[in-house]
Amino acid sequence: MYDLSSVLDFDEIQSVEPGSSILISGPAMTGKEAIAHEILADGLRSEEGAIAVTTNDEASDIYEDFQGRVPELSPTQLGLIDCRGDGDHDSTEGAYTHHVSSPGDLTGIGIGITKALEGLHTSGYQDGRLALVSLSTMLTYTDKKTVFKFCHVLSSRLDSADYIGLFTIDSSAHDEQTVQVIKQAFDGLIELREGGDGREARVLGIGDKPSDWKSI
Amino acid sequence: MTDSDGPVVLIVEDEPDVAETYKLWLRDDYEVRMAHDGDEGLELLDEDVDVVLLDRMMPGLSGDEVLERIRERDLGCRVSMVTAVEPDFDILEMGFDAYLSKPIRSEQLHETVQNLMERSEYDALLQEYYALVEKRATLEATKSTAELDENDQYVALKEQIESLREDLDMALGGVEDDEDFIATLRGLSNEEET
Repeated sequence: MYDLSSVLDFDEIQSVEPGSSILISGPAMTGKEAIAHEILADGLRSEEGAIAVTTNDEASDIYEDFQGRVPELSPTQLGLIDCRGDGDHDSTEGAYTHHVSSPGDLTGIGIGITKALEGLHTSGYQDGRLALVSLSTMLTYTDKKTVFKFCHVLSSRLDSADYIGLFTIDSSAHDEQTVQVIKQAFDGLIELREGGDGREARVLGIGDKPSDWKSI
Repeated sequence: MTDSDGPVVLIVEDEPDVAETYKLWLRDDYEVRMAHDGDEGLELLDEDVDVVLLDRMMPGLSGDEVLERIRERDLGCRVSMVTAVEPDFDILEMGFDAYLSKPIRSEQLHETVQNLMERSEYDALLQEYYALVEKRATLEATKSTAELDENDQYVALKEQIESLREDLDMALGGVEDDEDFIATLRGLSNEEET
């Protein structure tokens, strides 16, 4: 079981089953990426593996970000899939790094994830967490049908690896129908919004019933 | 897959003895077509073909070149490379769906062809699943939660989605295998280009 409640204080996510995939949805600037990466960092602190798939940030920046969050980080705990398709890459010494030609190159992303999973297994990390930031960028490269299927197939793969998956989407960047479609590829949903007194979150689909909105 | 008589396997192999052996093994379960080089293979390839067994080293067009042309034609068939050397991970990056290394045993050949057929079934199930999910999303975007709970069509749809999801989890053993995973993703990319 994976405990995500130290990052977001909700009972519903205290013991998340291995193989679960969770969508983190909210409008721009609500900290979706920070939450996804902090959940990964929390796993790294307990000797789990972590795979970060990034469509907007350079692998080396993500690497540094994790080094900052987890001082005791071992590079072989980390898989980095950089999908920007940019020519320059700075060093990510020791981490399982894979560069993909574009956020629309699903096969390339799949190969990167496969290699990272393989590497992490070899390094002795059987449990782990994967974060993909963001589905919104992928949706600008390919249609919602393809992204939905991709999420479904990737979730199945993570399920057989006993990993959990976290995927972010900017709910304000797409029409409601698109978000409703994408949501259905996941076991659970963490929703974020800007409330009167700052950011709020709620958890749906995990546990018996949806949680209430809560300030975070 | 199509509604023709049964699954069709196309063997592209320049050594006649080898090709005959494969045919002998497969002919009880599949309709088998044989081509002894890449050009003939491309001629015999149409929408009825489900699986292609493609020898990599042939005079004339190489297996890699034939594969490239198959993908260009956007046929839904699955392609297994047949090779004398054990390849590494790169065969997946090259766009093949599977590989068989020579010498091949009957059992192996059957397993591979069957797995490729299962992948096509998985793709079809996933497509069906998506169509239902999209329908559900449309209803959710246009009706309130209270309205939905009383809508028979919506309630039935939810049940259908649930049962199809279970079927998908069973299919391909839940995409456990790396080759299945990559090949399925490649199928998505190919489909999107059409």
